Amino acid sequence: MVPIACQARNVSVAYRADPVLRSVNVTVPVGSVMGIIGPNGSGKSTLIKAMLGLVKPLTGTSEFFGQPLDQVRHRVGYMPQSASVDWDFPTTVIDLVTMGTYGELGWIRRPGKAERARAMAAMEQTGIPELAYRQIGELSGGQRQRAFLARTLVQAPDLFFLDEPFQGIDAKSQQAMIDVLRDLVAQEKTCVIVHHHLATVRDYCDHVTLLNGHVVASGPADQAFTKENIRIAYEAREGAEAFLETAA
Amino acid sequence: MSFVLGTSLLAVVTALACALPGAFVVLRKNSMLVEGVAHAVLPGIVVGYALTHDLNSPWLIIGAALAGLLVVLGNEWLIRTGLITGDAPQGLVFPALFAAGVIFITLDFSHVHLHTEVVLIGDLNLAAFHHLMVSGVSIGPRYLYVMLAVLAVNVAFIAVFYPKLKVTTFDNQFATVLGMRTGLLNTVFMFLVSVTIVTAFHAAGAILVISLIVVPAATAHLISHRLSVMLALTALFAILGAVGGFWIAYALNAATSASMAVFYGLVFIAVALIDRLATRVRRHRRSRVCQPAAGR
Repeated sequence: MVPIACQARNVSVAYRADPVLRSVNVTVPVGSVMGIIGPNGSGKSTLIKAMLGLVKPLTGTSEFFGQPLDQVRHRVGYMPQSASVDWDFPTTVIDLVTMGTYGELGWIRRPGKAERARAMAAMEQTGIPELAYRQIGELSGGQRQRAFLARTLVQAPDLFFLDEPFQGIDAKSQQAMIDVLRDLVAQEKTCVIVHHHLATVRDYCDHVTLLNGHVVASGPADQAFTKENIRIAYEAREGAEAFLETAA
Repeated sequence: MSFVLGTSLLAVVTALACALPGAFVVLRKNSMLVEGVAHAVLPGIVVGYALTHDLNSPWLIIGAALAGLLVVLGNEWLIRTGLITGDAPQGLVFPALFAAGVIFITLDFSHVHLHTEVVLIGDLNLAAFHHLMVSGVSIGPRYLYVMLAVLAVNVAFIAVFYPKLKVTTFDNQFATVLGMRTGLLNTVFMFLVSVTIVTAFHAAGAILVISLIVVPAATAHLISHRLSVMLALTALFAILGAVGGFWIAYALNAATSASMAVFYGLVFIAVALIDRLATRVRRHRRSRVCQPAAGR
């Protein structure tokens, strides 16, 4: 049996009186690319945040490599949505990427040459080494995503949580992201990707969790990502209908 | 030390002590929360003054700073309850505390002689009145040394926790997943800001202290591409505004803290205009360089 990279058990979340997730169970095998798919407001990002302790769940627990997050933080990397930060913040791209090493520094130590060299290597992986000394506000949408991905790569985790990495991205950046993902898969790393573009799900993900406040289906893509399940998850929304027609 | 030198030094040190943590206040978008803290420390100061009869007593400073922290923690708690949204929780907590302070003063609580004007805008000249004497020679206002101590604590805190402050300010969620104690760091930071406000209260009052905290950093933010540069420029603008404001007040015989606040505003406008102009000139030059190439 394939070992498990992470698992959410019976996770429920509510924002005030509104339930967002109800009793979610998801299991992600090591070496898989798990797509979290669902319509807007279906709780995709919330599920990741609840698992990572950024949102307090009402019920449920999450485990990473069979342990609570605190025991294995160094093996878990997180790339938030790029819209969640202020890009006018006075910092350069290399400084942003170096932040990925801060988790190992303890309370007092500062990043030095070694950390910056690792940041540079991660930027080369995502294809943006020439942008190292730019102010982050000068980057395009795709370059921002690549800088964020480099910051996660620099941590060298075994499990990646990527929240909408393909959001607002140009073709060149998309290709760079896909190349990195392929590399990660080849190295037996595990990725959990929040994604909402139905047409490309099968290109990136070998596992899928269809979400709509609850889990509609979760498992290998060919079992979970079926027309019937998509229809249930999207409640026959326009975008999904169009996709289903072209797929048919 | 002469009165003028002592008072202008006090203005500079107070401005620096407020402005350096102010850089993070501005980047964390906490300016109005800090404005709330500046009002909420009042009851702490009045009660503390009644007990110690000394505005520079460390007990008063810590007690009143804790009252200021009530706004931060109360605000966070109210947001978590979900009863009210946006920044309304701040508006709920700090006016109540400020009003309690005003009631204490108007009731002449234990004979506290604080003038409303001093409460609102402070009085730097009055604050610099008591000089510290060493074997009969003045070595400057006593209050100057209190502010110097606060400045030293702020500089040390920022220097030691610089990477942590940077990452939690830029991306708090990412820092949390890295395993950083973001809540603890934020509470300690806000406590230091609160301490700074209470100490600067004597010089700048409840209303104008926010300009010492926010404006130099906001001005520096306009033209900084790196955090270290922003901190250096914040310090520069703080000093410039303090010296400029002090001499305007001296020449016009006006309130020092108010003159500093006005001068800060003028510096902000000047920097914003120069920055705009420079960007326009750069663009113009670039288009002139590009035109012949495009014409070919």
